[in-house]
Amino acid sequence: MSGDYKFNTLGLHAGHSPDSRHGSRAVPIHQTTSYVFQDTEHAAALFNMEVGGHIYSRISNPTVAVLEQRLAALEGGIGSVATSSGMAALFLTVLALCSAGDHIVSSSQMYGANINLFEHTLKRYGITTTFVKPNDLSGFKAAIRPNTKMVFGEVIGNPGMDIMNVPEVGKITAAAGVPLVIDATFNTPWLFKPLENGANIVIHSLTKWIGGHGIALGGAVIDGGSFDWGQNDRFPTLTEPHFGFQGVNLWEEFGPAAFITRVRTEGMYNVGPCLSPTNAFHLIQGIETLGLRMERHMANTVKMLEFLTGHEGISWVKHPLLPDHPDHDVAKRLMPKGAGSIIACGIKGGRAAGRAFIENVQVASHLANVGDAKTLVIHPGSTTHSHITPEAMEAAGLTDDLVRISVGLEDFDDLAADFNAALRIAGKVAGAAL
Amino acid sequence: MKVTVRGQETFVSTGGREFNPMDNVLLFIHGSGQSHLSYMLQGRFFANRGWSVLTPDMPAHGLSKGAALITIEDMADWMAELLDTLAVSSANVVGHSQGGLIGLELARRYPAKVKGLSQVATALAIPVNDALLSMAENKEPAAIAAMTDWGHGVDGHRHDHTMPGQDHMNYGKQLMAANASGALFADLTACVNYTGGSDAAAAVRCPCQVILGQKDKMTPLKFGLKMAEALDVSNPVVVAGAGHMLPSERPNEVNKALRSFFEIN
Repeated sequence: MSGDYKFNTLGLHAGHSPDSRHGSRAVPIHQTTSYVFQDTEHAAALFNMEVGGHIYSRISNPTVAVLEQRLAALEGGIGSVATSSGMAALFLTVLALCSAGDHIVSSSQMYGANINLFEHTLKRYGITTTFVKPNDLSGFKAAIRPNTKMVFGEVIGNPGMDIMNVPEVGKITAAAGVPLVIDATFNTPWLFKPLENGANIVIHSLTKWIGGHGIALGGAVIDGGSFDWGQNDRFPTLTEPHFGFQGVNLWEEFGPAAFITRVRTEGMYNVGPCLSPTNAFHLIQGIETLGLRMERHMANTVKMLEFLTGHEGISWVKHPLLPDHPDHDVAKRLMPKGAGSIIACGIKGGRAAGRAFIENVQVASHLANVGDAKTLVIHPGSTTHSHITPEAMEAAGLTDDLVRISVGLEDFDDLAADFNAALRIAGKVAGAAL
Repeated sequence: MKVTVRGQETFVSTGGREFNPMDNVLLFIHGSGQSHLSYMLQGRFFANRGWSVLTPDMPAHGLSKGAALITIEDMADWMAELLDTLAVSSANVVGHSQGGLIGLELARRYPAKVKGLSQVATALAIPVNDALLSMAENKEPAAIAAMTDWGHGVDGHRHDHTMPGQDHMNYGKQLMAANASGALFADLTACVNYTGGSDAAAAVRCPCQVILGQKDKMTPLKFGLKMAEALDVSNPVVVAGAGHMLPSERPNEVNKALRSFFEIN
């Protein structure tokens, strides 16, 4: 062959060779905790990372390794570690780079658990964070300090869908000698590959579009291998003797794989948020159709935007593809195939109408997830934020009429009919309230 | 560890173990545009089995400073100077690809320093096509991408690594990109200009081993077999289905062959 395989081929094949003994075409589920050593020398070699292989499934597992290698191939990374969730992936990334007294610069418009981790949990361990709006380039530059160990953001912010200009932020972090870590959950490598656009590390919640079926939680850290950890003395966890492996220097010993080796040898050994082999298998099934599903997600999202923007029951619609979105131009430039399948919109009639809409959809599912093959809806004003005043919600960037839609793969006519029916009922509720 | 050779800071990987020149020294010589990292799965393996491992980054490669060397003969001289600097009187030598040319020349010019020579995925000469040479000079990233593609066999292209979660192709690209700009062009030029392989092979007196990839596109099997013949190696090891990047793609087969050869010698 000439060149690397393309996206859909990698999604089907990368990381797996049928074994010579059984020839299983599907990736087998290695549902085992541990692995029989050939002899004591083999055991020692595995523990010393002299040879490849598996010791204990908290550290690595053959089924999980296929998933890791497939993700690395799709993102253009030199290696990957899969984790039990996306949050675990973010925490292991921080663990590998930061110690007490260190500092992080982060986008301010992100998934709430990410914000909480940085603002509250890490602060208890002496790691502080400066938050910057994702499109404030000068803000990122100004926030980096000598003890800053990473700059973090989401390509498509959750839930506001702000777009981070990854290539431009990447220029700033490269000049400052700090790695750029990007959560690419909402875009997936089908829409945008951060490692090819200035980022150094990618993390994913695999639970969302990568899996797509809503049956398995998972996360991943993917190392681009492009960051020079030895350029300054800022990263002692990678350039000074590691307590594992006779005190080796990971940067000297493993080069571009220094970071991902630390994630596995410290994060998995000492913290252990491992992915189950069965969940890895399920996530692999999802990846096999990721390219096809993303095409459909994007097509249905365009149709949904047309439907919502023209609907009398909708007061506003927010999505990066719409010309009035503040990051519209950046989104079109970075993600020409589409800017994700999450739409926020306002139901005319406020909180009560929003609740009525949510309670009357039949095809769409009311739940707290995104990226499923099925269309999902949630109304923060009557669920996650029901105890918060409209003023406090506005301060958080939310309004009480806001409904978040994760556009799925259904036949669009059925979605339109479902939404029309629910919006009619919401309209009656709004009318009654007036 | 860091040492000074020709006045330049030189990085030498010891496989994570302390180096002792009095032990059985194993010198690994990397190929064009590579670094000590191309032997990542050999260095630690042998260092933990009693060998004193030396895997230097040649000047302008990996973590070593200085300007890239431009002839195979000078590279062999540089290796000899490195051994002198480290007070190593003789070593077993492994050469991969261009490192094999250097190994041949080192064994010819400094026979007392080479106890045994293992030639991995290499040949008596490594011609480089003009298009690749031009890319290396003018579009280095394109040359790196092409060499990473051609250098890897089916395992690399399937992204199937023996180390869980790792990726051959993307790691290979980053390894090469980490070298100083121009190092690859200097290496490939040195290969193009080297014509002494047959004479060097005829002059080699130490025990030799040849390990080849059946599907090697960079130094095709037939040329490796000619080198084996020139070195009087009657039983070359041919790794079925393997490409050019044997040390990283097929570490188990390579380590087994190297170990059996060097334990006998």
